[in-house]
Amino acid sequence: MTAMTVGAEVGAPVRRAPLLRLFRSELRMILRRPRNIIGIGLLGLVPVVAGIGISIAASGSSSSDGDSVDGLAALVDGNGMLLPIFALVLALNMLLPLTGAMLAADALAGESAHGTLRGLLLAPVGRGRLLAVKAMGVATVVLLSIVLMAVTGLVTGLLLLGGDGMLSSSGTQLPFVDGLGRIGLTIVLLTVQIWALAAVALAVSAYTEHPLIVIVCSLGLLIVSGVLSAIPALDWLDPVLIISSWESIGEVVRDPLDWAPLGEGVLRAVCYMVIGISIAYGRMLSRDG
Amino acid sequence: MTAESEPGTVAVGAATVPPAARTRGLRKVYRGTVAVDHVDLEVPAGAVMGMLGPNGSGKTTTIRMLLGLVTPTSGEVELLGHKMPDGAAHALPGVGALVEGPGFSPFLSGRDNLLRVAAAEPLLTSAEIPNAVGEALERVGLAHAAGRRFRAYSLGMKQRLGLASALLVPRRFVVLDEPTNGLDPAGTREVRSVIADLHAAGTTVLVSSHLLSEVEATCTHVAVLNQGLVVAQGELSALLEAGTANLLVTTPEVTLAVDALREDRVAARPVPEGVLVDLTATTAPDVVASLVRAGVPVHEVRRQRTGLEDLFARLTEDTAVADLADLETLLPEDAR
Repeated sequence: MTAMTVGAEVGAPVRRAPLLRLFRSELRMILRRPRNIIGIGLLGLVPVVAGIGISIAASGSSSSDGDSVDGLAALVDGNGMLLPIFALVLALNMLLPLTGAMLAADALAGESAHGTLRGLLLAPVGRGRLLAVKAMGVATVVLLSIVLMAVTGLVTGLLLLGGDGMLSSSGTQLPFVDGLGRIGLTIVLLTVQIWALAAVALAVSAYTEHPLIVIVCSLGLLIVSGVLSAIPALDWLDPVLIISSWESIGEVVRDPLDWAPLGEGVLRAVCYMVIGISIAYGRMLSRDG
Repeated sequence: MTAESEPGTVAVGAATVPPAARTRGLRKVYRGTVAVDHVDLEVPAGAVMGMLGPNGSGKTTTIRMLLGLVTPTSGEVELLGHKMPDGAAHALPGVGALVEGPGFSPFLSGRDNLLRVAAAEPLLTSAEIPNAVGEALERVGLAHAAGRRFRAYSLGMKQRLGLASALLVPRRFVVLDEPTNGLDPAGTREVRSVIADLHAAGTTVLVSSHLLSEVEATCTHVAVLNQGLVVAQGELSALLEAGTANLLVTTPEVTLAVDALREDRVAARPVPEGVLVDLTATTAPDVVASLVRAGVPVHEVRRQRTGLEDLFARLTEDTAVADLADLETLLPEDAR
């Protein structure tokens, strides 16, 4: 990141804009963009809508006793602490990847399209530092969106669906604090997975100035890996598919926790992050401003 | 190819001061297309250098390489004494630039956009930022529109905001790529006065343009690019005065006119459009007086552009771009 200071022919110290100031400015820009505000706000509404839906479905069929809602949703009814986890897993299918890809697309390709990347390079913000600030900005806002969903989900769940503690998918009842822990774990696991996808998106973003290409590539990657993982003859591919980790996220509500698939998912995500950021860095060094 | 002038011949007193920017044998190839080639440019410290050339002549590519935005295919760039692009962290804080039009986020206000530029500016401490932004907006006359979104700005306002961001802090070297693009005459005058102020303050300015009139009005030095080559470079006045002045007389009585002028010891020769008179030893009023005395009917007398002036004009004002072979015959010896 500080490669430029090494080997500079003049001994005078290089003045740089502080990293924290750049990061704050980056966050301010992302969070001032109307489209992002609306997007994140809608994400926050997803658990609320899901909670209301489940609550209506449950109360409407309470007279006919029982078989009202199926699957995970059935589990959530009367078990409000599961709502944030339910909503997050729901959003993992499309909304959260879309958010991550969109933020990564704006970060480099979008800035390049607006001509603002040039301004930052001319300031100058070193290319490595610029990528670091961009990656931190994307990562922070992804985390923020997921936390927001968890909070609105938890509040909606407790208010509308009630319940005491968290009912695990194994049928045991977890105390409230353990329930919060499981929600926290879900936040961490999902955030890491979306970071992985966003890192790949950032690599694409470093290569183009069309944000749409970044979004198409990222979602295309998900769809292709979904298709590949569905073909039994290609099972040997599963360990490298980003989507393999996502299927195991539901494990967080098992009691006791099985850490093996979750840990494997995190490891896979970290690999994707390392690869994505490395490619993005390599490209940033040679990219025309 | 060999038409570029020697960098050493420009700016007499500048020999001791290192130039603000210097390039040697700069070449950039984009996917097999040569964008610029053999560019040996020297921007003397304190000069206002105009980079003149038609669209696609390599002005912006040269500027981008100068600023380290693009890595040259071959050749060297020195900016404020630092090798580019490796010395960017040292050189660029002293440089303000407006390249390829103003680049800002459309959804942020003018002020927020400048705050963002300021956050990335190494020479500003966090405490100085609000003042610097306010002053920059004031300087370009955008203070009243600072809260409006960039998207809603007119072309001229966008250009001014770009200027404001280039001049956010005092610079040693300011690079303006077609700064008057999209500006109305009043805006153009303001840009000229900004350039004049910078020049008066000792700042070196490099300004690109495709208009000779633009460069004539503001620049002390000029470099002319065509098809990726520097075809002339040096002090503007010296280059414009190079070559001999001619007068083109349109008359039906060509023979009579030539005879009358030769009798008065004025060099003249018939050309398809009329009579071409050499003005090195005489002046236009004298020529006209001679013709009238001899009873020659004169329809029109026009000062004909000299070699370089004609070259500039053809490169920068005509739509048809002279091809290179044409250029080399056009260039007089004294351009070298």
